[in-house]
Amino acid sequence: MADQPTSLERFVQGILPENPVFRQLLGLCPTLAVTNNMKSAITMTGAVLFVLFCANVITSLIRNLLKPHLRIVIFTLTIATFVTIADRFLAAYLYQMSKTLGPYIPLIIVNCIIICRCEVCASKQGVITAGADAIGQSIGFGIALSAIAAVREILGTGMFFEIRVLPAAWPDWVVMVLPPGAFLTFGLLIGLVNWYEGFRAQKAGKIEG
Amino acid sequence: MLNYLVDIFLIAVSAALINNFVLHYFVGICPFVGVSRRIEMAFGMGCAVTFVISIAAFISWAITTFILVPGAPLSQWIAGFFVPAETAAKVDLTILSYIVYILAISSSVQFVEMYVRKFYPPLYKSFGVYLPLITTNCAILFACLTIMANIVGVDDPADAWDLGRSLVLAIFGGVGFTIAIVIMAGIREELDLCDVPKPFQGAAITLIVAGILALGFMGFTGVDSGLRKALTPTVEKQAAVENLPVGKMVKTASGYRLIG
Amino acid sequence: MTENVKTNFFSQAWLVLLLAICFGAMLAGMQIALGPTIEANKVNETLERVPEMVFGADRARELADREQAVDVTPLTVGVDKAGKTVRYSVFEAKTDGQLAGWVTKTAGQGYADKIEMLIGFDPQVEKITGIFVLDQKETPGLGNKIVTDEWRSQFVAKSTGQSLAAVKGKAKAGNEIDAITGATISSKAVTDIINTAVVDLREPLITKAKGM
Repeated sequence: MADQPTSLERFVQGILPENPVFRQLLGLCPTLAVTNNMKSAITMTGAVLFVLFCANVITSLIRNLLKPHLRIVIFTLTIATFVTIADRFLAAYLYQMSKTLGPYIPLIIVNCIIICRCEVCASKQGVITAGADAIGQSIGFGIALSAIAAVREILGTGMFFEIRVLPAAWPDWVVMVLPPGAFLTFGLLIGLVNWYEGFRAQKAGKIEG
Repeated sequence: MLNYLVDIFLIAVSAALINNFVLHYFVGICPFVGVSRRIEMAFGMGCAVTFVISIAAFISWAITTFILVPGAPLSQWIAGFFVPAETAAKVDLTILSYIVYILAISSSVQFVEMYVRKFYPPLYKSFGVYLPLITTNCAILFACLTIMANIVGVDDPADAWDLGRSLVLAIFGGVGFTIAIVIMAGIREELDLCDVPKPFQGAAITLIVAGILALGFMGFTGVDSGLRKALTPTVEKQAAVENLPVGKMVKTASGYRLIG
Repeated sequence: MTENVKTNFFSQAWLVLLLAICFGAMLAGMQIALGPTIEANKVNETLERVPEMVFGADRARELADREQAVDVTPLTVGVDKAGKTVRYSVFEAKTDGQLAGWVTKTAGQGYADKIEMLIGFDPQVEKITGIFVLDQKETPGLGNKIVTDEWRSQFVAKSTGQSLAAVKGKAKAGNEIDAITGATISSKAVTDIINTAVVDLREPLITKAKGM
């Protein structure tokens, strides 16, 4: 397994170079649905971190026992179990939040990020690498969600984490906290990230040349 | 009877247009961005999703009503062999719902694929290739969860959704998905001829266009409440029939507690 | 041949079965540990509001400070409407054995989705003592202002004798409520929900209060 990335590489890659949301366009459904305020975005990231970490570690532990044609069933079973646990936990300790997030917590089951990480990383590498990969990917996911949520909450309500940051005279751009705002913000941010990548690649090319 | 038809009609309008799965609930975004380059492809995907979503809705409605919901007939009957009848009536398996739904969806996708490939080869050619992709489509699970919320989450068991309502929600949810993805594909075919700035090509411009579409679909908001008012005849209430005490609540240091 | 298939099946699927058993045990443990808390959360969400709905926020706080117990009994009231029974969850609030008021949980169609709310009445169901919105998905910035204290406080002490009406501009008559600017439909939806609940529940609750 000499050609497999190390734990540290996996961890760093998840955050920006292979950011699950901006670079790989995975897990778009929660990215758009729960980003109209920072609190939901952070809670969602926490839930994804928990599920991804547990699923990755378990998959990694049993990776040598996996039969190729049964592995998807096992991944699904594992993910669904941990999502149920996360869902119950939120309902018990953060009841209002679990009501706000509603069906988007169970929809983590079909979030492509998790099944993709189980397949690409955890089913091939050791426990520590799998854990590091899960944390890195979740941080990347969290950064993407917070970026979108920050734009939408500040422009849409003039508040950040429910604390007023813009003057009261700010006319709230209500459309930003409604569904269209999610699409517009996310589209513009992807464009921005692409533009920055292109800009950097160009600069690197110039230095080498 | 009239009320039931109005209900069905409103669920259909709401699922297809007002609360469009893609543009309002953001489910099924992955294929919406990925498979919306050509109109035929988009239409094939839409049909495949509608087909699978109806089957999944049927299965999940049956499982929820007969097995998962507290006091469901099948689980009550089985539990009756092991525990006293009062305990059996309270058996609540809703905690298993997510696992059961996702397994039901993936196995139904598998069976549909095999069946269609064997018996309807032309149909398989037109949308069979999209079938494996559908398992991880959130729209299907979302439909199952909505149906569950309307069976388990209601205060009054008489309000729980029946098979008709569940199927209508699923089919028209699928139709709404098809409408959204086909419109998107039509716009993207035209976009190919436009000079889009390089960083925005692909996903970015698709999402921005989707935002404008969502803005358009927001115009449907409120149509259902207006329609309901126009369609339902006002009924005069007759008489109160019953007072059913269900328990007693007392205040404790940490809040209120149900006793008895 | 059969033997072969059997061993094959087990050698293939033992891991899935083992995991299923482990996960099943985990979920069962989870349910036993957290189930009561979740149930309590659901019940408390409504119940904690009952004193506030009956006495108003200030007096409810005062009563809580004095450690005055408020006994709340949940009831189900069924009302026959065109052959269909509509059930209301009603909470009967008592202090020192004296009936203090009623709170009912009800829901109706708003602008975007269902609005779920609590309505408080005095013991004789002559006045509204408070309303609270439990769940709504109205337009942010416009329709969702129905949850604000200022708007809700307009309903306090309104008579149940006349049906309420949400009007644009300034409310003049006793039964009028200021509609929220830009959200007349949401405001009308709230008054409609209240009117329906009042018509349905007045008689049964008055009868019940007399019987005590």
